[in-house]
Amino acid sequence: MKLLLRFPSHLHERPYTAEIILETGAKINIDRAYVDAVHAEVVVDVPDDKARRVVELFKERGVEVRILKKLIVWDETRCVHCGACVSICPKGVFRFDADWRVTLDEGKCVQCGVCINACPMRALALFYGEGERVKQQE
Amino acid sequence: MDFKVKKSIAEINEKIKDGSVSVVTADEMAALVRELGAERAAREVDVVTTGTFGAMCSSGVFLNFGHADPPIKMRRVWLNGVEAYAGIAAVDAYLGATQPSERNPEYGGAHVIEELVAGEEIELRAVAHGTDCYPRKSIETEITLADLNQAVMVNPRNAYQRYNAATNSSDRTLYTYMGTLLPNYGNATFCGAGALSPLCNDPEYETIGVGTRILIGGAHGYIIGAGTQHEPVKGKGTLMVIGDLKEMKREFLRAAVFYKYGVTLYLGISVPIPILNEEIAKRTGVSDAEIVTEVIDYGVPRRDRPVVRMVTYAELKSGSIEIEGREVPTAPLSSFYMARRVAEELKRQIERGEFLLTEPVARLPTVGETKPMKQTRELPLVRDVMSREFKVVREDASLEDVAKAIVKGKFTHIPVVDAKNKLVGIVTAWDISLAVAFKYNTLDKIMTRRVVTAKPDEPVDIVVRKFEQFDISAMPVVDDEGHVLGMVTSDQISKLVGR
Ligand code: SF4
Ligand code: SF4
Repeated sequence: MKLLLRFPSHLHERPYTAEIILETGAKINIDRAYVDAVHAEVVVDVPDDKARRVVELFKERGVEVRILKKLIVWDETRCVHCGACVSICPKGVFRFDADWRVTLDEGKCVQCGVCINACPMRALALFYGEGERVKQQE
Repeated sequence: MDFKVKKSIAEINEKIKDGSVSVVTADEMAALVRELGAERAAREVDVVTTGTFGAMCSSGVFLNFGHADPPIKMRRVWLNGVEAYAGIAAVDAYLGATQPSERNPEYGGAHVIEELVAGEEIELRAVAHGTDCYPRKSIETEITLADLNQAVMVNPRNAYQRYNAATNSSDRTLYTYMGTLLPNYGNATFCGAGALSPLCNDPEYETIGVGTRILIGGAHGYIIGAGTQHEPVKGKGTLMVIGDLKEMKREFLRAAVFYKYGVTLYLGISVPIPILNEEIAKRTGVSDAEIVTEVIDYGVPRRDRPVVRMVTYAELKSGSIEIEGREVPTAPLSSFYMARRVAEELKRQIERGEFLLTEPVARLPTVGETKPMKQTRELPLVRDVMSREFKVVREDASLEDVAKAIVKGKFTHIPVVDAKNKLVGIVTAWDISLAVAFKYNTLDKIMTRRVVTAKPDEPVDIVVRKFEQFDISAMPVVDDEGHVLGMVTSDQISKLVGR
């Protein structure tokens, strides 16, 4: 399960992720991290069986947690199945089916953002939890 | 030649009218020819429909707006902020697909064309000089496609027979009209529909000619000649085409944006090929494995980019190709799915008797090459502007040595070389200040190792682009072995450009 963690600025310095890995024994993978002076956002991949405990522990420490069910939004009505996204995705999220239609394996996405600008139809966007569509990366 | 199978276009049209015509798409035909042989395929099939759906930059529409009261002879005209060419009488204009909006580079002519087809309202703004017969000096109004007298798509160059594939050997991501090209041969992209593409199925232009009726953007249209840059001797023919925008469907015509490159139009075109004899049948039996193209390195910013290797469409469509011993993922930029739908749409229309074939009135040229631009003013090269007086330091030099080199020489950038005099880094006055501020005392802590360099025979324009891209102001000029030959700075170049 993928989680989006938002660390308020005063929590930056503490090694929470490391503490929680030690405490739960969960093999947490960091997919993507974005840190600047005022906030830090990290996307982590947590094994499903440990996910509940990991979420609780982050929340206890004041970290905002969102469960990412959907990582990438694909507007199929705009898509023309050109394939411009296929060879540039580092995780192989996009594939052609037998009819040369593009299909997505959304769970593999690590939100690196490369496909967003590569899509000539502007049919792709990163997704950050319900109702929130992240602005396109520059 | 004496053919075993002989049909005429008129006979095929009779079959279309009485509903007995047999039509297949070009990929179905490839399988049939393989299975039955060309002669039997020619007996069984009357028409093969081809298809392509991809970026067709060289496209646009002629629009006639009708006369205003008081009348205006438009000198310049904008549609949703996108300028159209108005130098053709009073209220006619040509809107090019790649013309960007003056407000937003991600919006352009192709978007206006798509919105017109979708029936949306477009803001028209025009200015004029004012004459005795056309007194009005400006106008602003809203128009839709239905309000226009004519909206005719006329595309100077569409449906390339084949196009090169693209990859990138350089160490940074390139954003091109061939899509995003990842560094160090990270991917390869290609366009064209391969064995489905119109001219690949009639490479001698035997049936495809001036006056051939086609499907363009979902409407009936015509080939009006060879396209610009038509290069038959290299197997790179192109088509000039016409179609009525008012009949087109949004499904087969879409605005697109290539990031940091610009706007273009994706367009679907289907050309029918009448199977008049077994030779024509044989050629429509072409498969992706027989269509060869070059993989070109876009990492080299020149017209004559190096060919990395030759490749077939079958290899490109397999999902990866080998380049310099590594597996490079490949993907198209044109849509095979849509190309097939376009070919199937034409097949359906012919089967229903809604589309009759035409006899071409002239053939497309089968000879001719495309020349490069004649350049009468030589571009200055880096070697013409670079400074040959410069200082270098060895990688084991002390920071004092570097500081002295900066003070004594005239550059704030000092190349760092190894024992063999090869470039290994660069250090600037700013790096020295950093070293003082943070008490670093060796060169390797502060120098930059990934140095942007210039070659002596590069045109200065390419160096200007590098200065902008990397936001730097000076770079060493090196030979192929990495020996420093000089320095070139943005100041030197702006002096030259300001000349
Ligand atoms: S790049 Fe965009 S339009 Fe092309 S296949 Fe991918 S999602 Fe669809
Ligand atoms: S954001 Fe990155 S990982 Fe996710 S689908 Fe796009 S390219 Fe792939």
